Amino acid sequence: MSRLKTSWIVMANIALMSAILIFVALYSNYEKKDNYRSHVEHFVNALIAMEQVTGNYLEGEQRICDNWAQYINSQDMTLEEATAYIRATHANSDTSAHVIDTETLTGYSTRPKLNSTENYDVSYARMELFGDGAWIAELGEAINITRTYTNPMNGEQSLAFCNRIAVQDTENGGKKQAYLLRIVPVSNLEKKWVFPKEEYGEEEFSIIDKDGNYVIRGRSFKSNSFFEFYKSYNQPGITVQNQLFSDILSGTGSFTMQDSKGRECIAAYTPITSTKGWVLLSVAPISNLNAVTENWLLIGVISFGLLLLLVMDFLYMHSVNKKLRVMAREAEAANRAKTDFLSTMSHDIRTPMNAIIGLTTIAEKNLGDQEAVADNLRKISLAGNHLLTLINDILDISKVESGKLNLSPINFSIVETVENLVNLSQPMVKEKNIVFSFRTNRMEKEYLYADQLRLNQIYISILSNAIKYTMPGGRVSVDLKEEKSEKEGCVKLIYRVEDTGIGMSPAFLEKMYQPFSRQTDSRVNSIQGTGLGLAITKQMVELMNGTIECQSELEKGTTFTITLDLPVADKQLEEMRIDNVEALIADDDPILLETAVDTLASMGIHADPANTGLEALEMIRRRHEAGKDYNVIILDWKMPDPDGIETIRRIRKEIDASVPILLTSAYDWSDIEEKAKEAGANGFISKPLFRSGLYEKISMLLGMEAKAVEPTEDYSDLAGMNILIAEDNDINWEIISTMLSMFGITSERAENGRICTEKMAEAKEGDYDLIFMDIQMPEMNGLDATRHIRKLENRWAASIPIIAMTADAFSENVAECLQVGMNGHIAKPVDLKLVIKEIRRIKEEKK
Amino acid sequence: MKKVFCIILSALFAVVSVTCACQARAESAGAFQPRLDTDTSCEITVVGSYSNFEALEAEFDSFNEIYPNVELTYLKPDDYENLLGIVLESSNPPNIFFSFPWMYGNDKYLTAFAHMEDLSDPQLGLDLACIRPNLLRYDADGQLLTVPVFARNYGMLVNNDLFEKEGLQVPTTWEELLAVCEAFLSKGYASPMMGYSAGPSSCLMSILVYPEVVAALADDPEALQAANEMNPAAGECMRTSLESMMQLIESGYINLEKCNEISDNYTQVILRFFEGDVPMMICTGDTVSGTGKRESQSEAFSRHPFTYSFTPIPLSEDGGYFIDSPSIEFSVNKTCDNLDMTNEFMRFLISREELNRMALVKRLVTPTKDLSFSAVYEPFGRVPDERVLCPETIGITDALFVQVRNAAYQVGTGAAGIDEVISQYGSLK
Repeated sequence: MSRLKTSWIVMANIALMSAILIFVALYSNYEKKDNYRSHVEHFVNALIAMEQVTGNYLEGEQRICDNWAQYINSQDMTLEEATAYIRATHANSDTSAHVIDTETLTGYSTRPKLNSTENYDVSYARMELFGDGAWIAELGEAINITRTYTNPMNGEQSLAFCNRIAVQDTENGGKKQAYLLRIVPVSNLEKKWVFPKEEYGEEEFSIIDKDGNYVIRGRSFKSNSFFEFYKSYNQPGITVQNQLFSDILSGTGSFTMQDSKGRECIAAYTPITSTKGWVLLSVAPISNLNAVTENWLLIGVISFGLLLLLVMDFLYMHSVNKKLRVMAREAEAANRAKTDFLSTMSHDIRTPMNAIIGLTTIAEKNLGDQEAVADNLRKISLAGNHLLTLINDILDISKVESGKLNLSPINFSIVETVENLVNLSQPMVKEKNIVFSFRTNRMEKEYLYADQLRLNQIYISILSNAIKYTMPGGRVSVDLKEEKSEKEGCVKLIYRVEDTGIGMSPAFLEKMYQPFSRQTDSRVNSIQGTGLGLAITKQMVELMNGTIECQSELEKGTTFTITLDLPVADKQLEEMRIDNVEALIADDDPILLETAVDTLASMGIHADPANTGLEALEMIRRRHEAGKDYNVIILDWKMPDPDGIETIRRIRKEIDASVPILLTSAYDWSDIEEKAKEAGANGFISKPLFRSGLYEKISMLLGMEAKAVEPTEDYSDLAGMNILIAEDNDINWEIISTMLSMFGITSERAENGRICTEKMAEAKEGDYDLIFMDIQMPEMNGLDATRHIRKLENRWAASIPIIAMTADAFSENVAECLQVGMNGHIAKPVDLKLVIKEIRRIKEEKK
Repeated sequence: MKKVFCIILSALFAVVSVTCACQARAESAGAFQPRLDTDTSCEITVVGSYSNFEALEAEFDSFNEIYPNVELTYLKPDDYENLLGIVLESSNPPNIFFSFPWMYGNDKYLTAFAHMEDLSDPQLGLDLACIRPNLLRYDADGQLLTVPVFARNYGMLVNNDLFEKEGLQVPTTWEELLAVCEAFLSKGYASPMMGYSAGPSSCLMSILVYPEVVAALADDPEALQAANEMNPAAGECMRTSLESMMQLIESGYINLEKCNEISDNYTQVILRFFEGDVPMMICTGDTVSGTGKRESQSEAFSRHPFTYSFTPIPLSEDGGYFIDSPSIEFSVNKTCDNLDMTNEFMRFLISREELNRMALVKRLVTPTKDLSFSAVYEPFGRVPDERVLCPETIGITDALFVQVRNAAYQVGTGAAGIDEVISQYGSLK
């Protein structure tokens, strides 16, 4: 349809362009014709002017001849005397005069014959020049000129102005008639008759007599007669031809003809009125008269312009159509994607929901079987968590696709992030019995300024995938490196996760970042996943201006490398140095060993590396025997033969019972804590080994003050708190109030925002420690309620900490909450740990 | 793919066009290679006895394509035969002038001969080999002072369509001629053969008789000498041909009453032939030259055009003769201005192509060896060599021709009998 419309538009354009061009061509043609008419008119007028000049000249020449004749007639002269008279009075060397007896057509010339000095005799007997002589008018009545003829005395082509004179008849007595000829060479006339060169450069003219014979012939005029010339190169038919010849001899006008070169010419003619039947003729190629090219230039320019316009229009339309087609395709794809998305989401949501509903039903029917109920509840919890992950991912991908995924940078500790990462991965690592290592390399800058939440999400996503898709007994190793960044004020964090998992096919590698893409593999199908993780991760990495790279090979494993340039926070840990301390560190991972030695060195601790437990034992023994015991010994738990615990045991038994020993592990060490302590370990430190962690543990062991405070499982600090919960949903109220009560926290409910506001307005200082505020509530929502509370006159009430507790989990929702004056945001479903953490944070801030 | 194909085709077309253009230019250039600076600016004048010479003017135009700044003009001086000498001596002498076979041996033209350049000079580069050798006349010193540009011959214009219409063949022998004339006569044609008969100049009688007389004298040097010496005894050489002529007239094959209606020996002869009812019109090649231009001037021919050709008149059993004689010759005035360019023009003109082209335009017999290019004169190209006779080569003088012409005219018009004119040979007026 759009193509059809385009065709119509193009056709309309072409039609319009053609119409304009036709108009311009017609107008130009009209102008050209008008111009041509004007030129022809001008040409004819120029010829008429020439005729006047010619007439004047001829009259002048005739006048001289008349004067001679008048004088001769007035005297009684013989032919010889008349000739002698003219010879005596005529000084012009170019011209001559002949006096000819009309009977014999012989006579005398004023100039001698060529190559002779004495022969003045001249004869016209063999020339048909005079005819009966009747054409010679009486003296002074007209111009009498012969045609061009050959002067018999000198052979030159000449004209003669004639008069009839009376001379003495010496033989018979009395008078006899004679012709007086004033002879002018044609070459003389040709020099005088020249068209205005500036206008008519190539035009020539001729004079013809009443028979069409040339009196004077221009170069381009052919034949001996103009009429012959015309007939030779033009075949108009006898009637037209005769009419034309008649017109030429009877008036002024113009006509077209072809010359000897086949050129179309315009011929103009006008009678020389002072003569009897002579006509002045001029012929010029039409191209010369019509040499106006401006109109064609105009047409050319307009044509080019219109064509350009058409092409530009066409290109523009083509471009717009192309964009529209792309947009249509995108819209179609988006529509399809939406359908696919809904279909996939429906499936992915229904699957855990099916588990939850089904297991709940089973649990209800087995209320008496505590073990079965506990198992069902555990599975329900797993399904719920998966559902929550799915919803979170959906929210994230939705935000990514809508471009609303914003970053909320904060100052955070990369150490905490890594610790959190390790902690989170431990259960799965342990469950799948995976060989796990996490190495950091000289993390100089602990505090960074970035969106910690998103960074966590990125790192966790990659690591959890590695663990998920690595078969039991496999290996997952993580390397986190800090390098100098090209960006000022930033460090380059390189996060590399390598696994020996199932790997990915090249085909899947190409589309792995597309939402809901999961490898088609029977092994993968048994692993829970939304297929959104990598898509979200990539978007987030790109949002943080980082890169994500992947190398993978089926059956061999996958390596993801994420590189991010993150700004360094203004605030850094105070200088952590423990000088004059010598340590030994043992680990079978040479890279970890090297980086740990570096980290310790940066703290001022000299550390000797040992690759095995046996080597460590030997080194410790030597130092002990030399009386230079290490100040601290750091041993990896999972070293091969002997492992860390066994090494500790042997140190304590064979060498030194008092040297402080730290046990390191990338695994959850809660299971071995008891065993390690029994062997003689003084403390535990999780891998990777950060400077802050090492400083804290070593300081503690050496009796120095530790800066960090370990979290504690003691919740007594929370007991006695009273929290106002604005929640319209009964179940949610029940859940949160029950959860809080587990920690000795009391709570009161406000069913909506208005009630919450009223309660706060009425409350006395200390009635509530904080408010958990739902956002979407009837009568008054949480945001408006907060605004009201913040405006209360009671300063305590107006400044009470308010934490949003809502299912509105987007970042903009969080920002909106903070903007109206809330102090924090907890997304539903609530994570109890997070709730406690927030409560504690508020409590701390109160201090 | 289409686009690529179109581009390749366009490129090929362009290459072929350019190649062809270059080839055409090369071929064109190969025809005549100028020896002088083509920007040379000068004037060249040719004078002659023709009133109009469009064929030569067409050559001027062709030459101007090579030498655009050379101004060439053709002029006909009055009283050419008498004033040629003085024209050559004038202050504006012509570069090239007409010369004629009859000028040889005439003292009146000594001045003219004194001005003639030797055109046999190889340096001039004229293609003399293209001209029929009989027509080239070298003087005693081996100089070639005149070069023929047209030839003259005698014959009859044949209306081919009329022959075809009546189912007749153009005659090639005397018997066939009589049979054809009889056939036309029987079909109601008032005068199967016609010609100008109102005066002796170019009259049909002389055209009929002269070739036979030339043939008779060609093989009889003594008779030729006697004839040239105007010896009455030589008059016998005319008898056979005069008798043949009279047979045609007396048989009614040539109706003199009808012929006398033709008022001149040129235009009217042509226009009468174009009326379309004359199977054979006896005339000279000079008359044939006017046919082309007059086709459009004849209303009858315009209405009913027909094909025609010029053939020898078969007045003997072996057919007719091709009396091959120079009609117009060109001579170069060696004292003229711009002699180099004049010779360059002659080099351009004296070539098979240009002479044939000029003959075609003028519709005269070409002096070149190739007669096949002209449909009108093509029959003369088929005349066997032994029947091609050149009066000038044989040694026939102009005076001899005049005697024959007068004899034929007088006998034909009945002014005198055959025996009478034979006996008066040498003094026939």
